[in-house]
Amino acid sequence: MKFPRPRRILLYVLLILFAFAYLLPFWTCITTSFKTEKAVIETVPVQPASPTLEPWMEALDIMGRPLLNSLTFTLFATIFSCFIGSINGYVLSKIRFKGSDIIFLFFSIGIFIPYQTVLIPLVLTISRLGLYNSIEGLILTHTAYGIPICTLLFRNFYKDVPDSLIMAAKTDGAGTLTIYRRILLPLSSAPFVVAGVFQFTSIWNDFLFGLVLARGSEALPASVALANLRGTTTAFWNVQMAGALWYALPVIIVYLILGKYLMSGYMAGAVKG
Amino acid sequence: MKDSVIALLILLPSVLLVGYFVYASIGWNVIVSLSNWEGLEPSYTIVGFRRYVELFYDPVFWISLKNNLLLILLFVPSSILLGLFLAILLDMKVRAEGVFRTIYLLPFALSFVITASLWAWMYDPKVGVINILLEKVGLGFLQSGWVTDSSIAMYCVILALTWQFSGYTMLIFLAGIRSIPESQVMAAEVDGAYGFSLYRRIIIPQLKFSSLAAFVILMVFALKGFDFIYVLTGGGPGGWSTFVLPLEMFRETFTMTHFAYGAAIATVLFVIVMVIVVPYLYMSSRRREE
Repeated sequence: MKFPRPRRILLYVLLILFAFAYLLPFWTCITTSFKTEKAVIETVPVQPASPTLEPWMEALDIMGRPLLNSLTFTLFATIFSCFIGSINGYVLSKIRFKGSDIIFLFFSIGIFIPYQTVLIPLVLTISRLGLYNSIEGLILTHTAYGIPICTLLFRNFYKDVPDSLIMAAKTDGAGTLTIYRRILLPLSSAPFVVAGVFQFTSIWNDFLFGLVLARGSEALPASVALANLRGTTTAFWNVQMAGALWYALPVIIVYLILGKYLMSGYMAGAVKG
Repeated sequence: MKDSVIALLILLPSVLLVGYFVYASIGWNVIVSLSNWEGLEPSYTIVGFRRYVELFYDPVFWISLKNNLLLILLFVPSSILLGLFLAILLDMKVRAEGVFRTIYLLPFALSFVITASLWAWMYDPKVGVINILLEKVGLGFLQSGWVTDSSIAMYCVILALTWQFSGYTMLIFLAGIRSIPESQVMAAEVDGAYGFSLYRRIIIPQLKFSSLAAFVILMVFALKGFDFIYVLTGGGPGGWSTFVLPLEMFRETFTMTHFAYGAAIATVLFVIVMVIVVPYLYMSSRRREE
């Protein structure tokens, strides 16, 4: 759609105004995170003043261990759920067998349930397995609830791989698993990036599971640590904002580098979250 | 071995995991909701639908339900309209479209704990940006307690959530607009459809499925969203002014240890969400087959 010049100027003015509105919370967060407590009270929030790294250091003292915890369970659960989703997606799209549609529906519904409905059984299960307040418990939980969406993402991708490729390999005598390893896996870098980025950000951003499955520092996720920071009176705004930025940093980096893939994950992963 | 046997063997671990953590857990939750379990010691003596009846007499349940409805009535349409507007702006052959898109979608990529922290700071009555900027530009009379004022706290939540989700609805609509065949748009232009009338007459009517997807996604979020409100207001101020069903479920279960009652709230939430999601899943699978 092309507009005459004066209208195009108006268009860009609007787009830029919106961009300012969307960025304002981030901008004040960044300026505040570099201020001393005194400067936070005395200066205008949007204006940078007397820069100091003190709040970042203070926030890292509190958030350091939780950030490592989050990184550990997020990476493991992302890898596990992606590999399981990949092989499931292959089986559900390329092998014809009775019940395959029903199993797919069985997984799909798992994407949409509100997690409140499974919260009590989940806490009981994880406790009974002796995994309460452990990284392993969080890996198991995030992997289990990640399987449905990963299966869906990979199935939708493998559906478009031509059947003739599979047939050709079959006539050469390749078995089911060999076909997956030799033919589909080498074609799968795109869906692995999409599912991987999607899983990484959703698990990293999770709050609810961390809140009910972890207490002490051994497994506390960064999301819960940041929320706790808000609850205290000792951490002033500059420390809270620095903490928020520490926790946001990995996702912002992933978003800026691999945003395109994250967007296709969002389009496919619709109602999850 | 036959292919179908291998297929089932491969799927078996996942089916067991999802079967346990999703389906068996939903059933387990229903059983808890029918029991008399209160306190930390589990109890599975079935007492029937007593907890569900109690819901009717619980004022906090009704306040929470009312706030969930408020989210559906205000947050959902505002995010959809703003997202649609941004998508139309970005569709006008904008230079640096990718930069704008990245900026508008950034809030949605981040954890609710982060966005809630940012908005808590924005809304701070004493030193927060909003009140200070209002004063600087001579609009000091508009200053307010924002999330600390129970009469407007829920609207502050809705504004912040619209900021976070409108980039996502923009993405859905932009994909919808881009999937309309170029030839149709050109034909309409030849017929003299121009500018916003082109969108009103040709493009927006074809965004039915995008709109449906956006509606369902946002409505489900409006019902089950927990993190953002929990971190921003904790359900307050003034006790329950921003309480929603997921918060009420969490408080009853994990703070008050009324496990049966919390499970009943979760079951109600599950039923409402499924009433929205199942027809949508059915329609989108039909659409895919066409």
